Amino acid sequence: MFRWQKLGLVFEPQRVSGREWLSEFAQAPATLLLDDVVRVYFSCRPPPDSQGRYVSRSAWVDLDRRNLFEVREVAGEPILPLGALGTFDEFGTYPVSVLREGPVVRAYYAGWTRCESVPFNVAIGAATSRDGGRTFSRLGEGPVLGYSPDEPFVVSGPKIRRFGDQYQLFYIAGRKWKVVDGRPEPVYKIRMATSSDGIHWDRLGRDLIPSRVEDDEAQASPDVYFANGRYHMFFCYRFSSHFRGRTFGYRIGYAWSNNLTDWTREDDRAGIDVSEDGWDSEMISYPHVFDVDGKTYMAYLGNQVGKHGFGLAVLEGSLE
Amino acid sequence: MRWIRRGHIFDPTEHRLPSGCEQFAQSPQALVFDDFVRVYFSTRAVDERRKFLSHIAFVDLDKELRRVVRVSQHPVLPLGGLGCFDEHGIFPMNVVRVGGAVYGYTCGWSRRVSVSVETGIGLAISHDDGLTFHRIGDGPILGASLNEPCLVGDAFVKQVEGTFHMWYIFGRGWRRYDTGSPPDRVYKIGHATSEDGVHWVREEGRQIVPDALGPDECQALPTMVRVGNTYHLFFCFREAFDFRTNAARGYRIGHASSADLVNWIRDDANPAWPHQQGEWDSDMQCYPHAFELDGRVLMLYNGNEFGRRGFGWVELVE
Repeated sequence: MFRWQKLGLVFEPQRVSGREWLSEFAQAPATLLLDDVVRVYFSCRPPPDSQGRYVSRSAWVDLDRRNLFEVREVAGEPILPLGALGTFDEFGTYPVSVLREGPVVRAYYAGWTRCESVPFNVAIGAATSRDGGRTFSRLGEGPVLGYSPDEPFVVSGPKIRRFGDQYQLFYIAGRKWKVVDGRPEPVYKIRMATSSDGIHWDRLGRDLIPSRVEDDEAQASPDVYFANGRYHMFFCYRFSSHFRGRTFGYRIGYAWSNNLTDWTREDDRAGIDVSEDGWDSEMISYPHVFDVDGKTYMAYLGNQVGKHGFGLAVLEGSLE
Repeated sequence: MRWIRRGHIFDPTEHRLPSGCEQFAQSPQALVFDDFVRVYFSTRAVDERRKFLSHIAFVDLDKELRRVVRVSQHPVLPLGGLGCFDEHGIFPMNVVRVGGAVYGYTCGWSRRVSVSVETGIGLAISHDDGLTFHRIGDGPILGASLNEPCLVGDAFVKQVEGTFHMWYIFGRGWRRYDTGSPPDRVYKIGHATSEDGVHWVREEGRQIVPDALGPDECQALPTMVRVGNTYHLFFCFREAFDFRTNAARGYRIGHASSADLVNWIRDDANPAWPHQQGEWDSDMQCYPHAFELDGRVLMLYNGNEFGRRGFGWVELVE
């Protein structure tokens, strides 16, 4: 048995000054452990344009390793520029997942473009850092994981891992655009690909997690963590329509696997739910599990999918 | 190589077309039968936004390419669904017999906001001799990739000694050449191989044909035919902007040859054939498709206005 003891909101973008591109939102936290700090990558936004459209950028905040509620530094610039005219990441780089490999930090990120019939499309890009994860350069102008016959659009939300001698990329792939109240909303499911070099990927080609609340359930943030001889996945899921409030909004789910490809979903074991009141009372989403000095934490988003930042919870019990 | 100009053969405005299409018969692609030649082309309808939607149709011609036997009256392949890569058009579709099936390699179009369009290569398969095609999936088999960042399309597939080869185009990027004008794109010809025609290994960003007009030359619609021991690649090329109405900057047919399918020598002087002023192809020649017909080597192509009034053909005579 395990549960997550909530510690509260740890980073609120509205409290950061002097960075217009970091006006609001701190979405999809992902960590890199450094000597003195935990670097938490997140995605944020400048104010929307006159048509209400946002551009997402990605950056980091360094939290003191001995006191995660003490912010030591916030990135002065986004870690990546936006993509060139007509490329897949022209209108956003969100979210980011990182993996250290000796002197290099690899990043996988979702790039956003804008479309005419639907609001956007997304594909996964790759970048590397040689300055310890402060700034990144793209591997190429195009995506490293784009669309395929059975993953036709919205290939997004990458989480990079390395278990054994292969890389694993957990991500989401769009299944359909569902028109709700005249507005197309994407339905997406959790998928996986493996690679020996991090560039050429073999897709598993099926959903990892069965849908539970409805066939068109949207699933995101597949965060895989290994403990006690087993793989544990925390993710989030929501209804396909009217999900911007408490009733149909995001919750955190849980699944486990012995082999990374066959998963048993057991949401009632997730050990975390919305609060009665406060910053995470309507929805909780985008979990990321990480270790610091013998403790296991979950970073996650609260109401309005991280508009006011992310919080932390600490594991009680053990993941088994 | 000496080509004889055989003339215009199909004008879409003289026929009833499916899917509400009235003009354009672009990028003709041949599928040879025992007693006729089926030529697929892209034709256009106009949607509620007053923008074009390209649809695939076909015309069956007698083997002398003189007489229209019939024109398809039903959609060969419907456009893609909401948000899919081929939602706003399929142009072109290259057809290849594989066993008893016909593989259709489509170029799907979907509209963007900052630039006009993005494309990808899809695969649809026919089990009724090319009357109707069904996608293997809603997404593309080849789309933008690390070093081919946009506008992957215009596939031409041919099996050579057991291996599938694909020549196609990929975008190098978009650029606004003049303030106030919409962005224009530059694309080049690439190459990929496959064992099954479905899963492809690309050369990933290698431009296989050198530029004749400089780095911003646009190269489109490759087609390959073997003559003797030499492989011949035909394509069309143009300047990157001011190419739609300025004949001096518009599409011409280019050529490269190779002995090994790896190294290509460009020689645009070769495909030339005489043409006169005021003809259907006097301002523009584009979208070539070379194929063999009972031992003859023929090439279909479009003329002025990107094929608004259909296509014609030339024949290799020596």
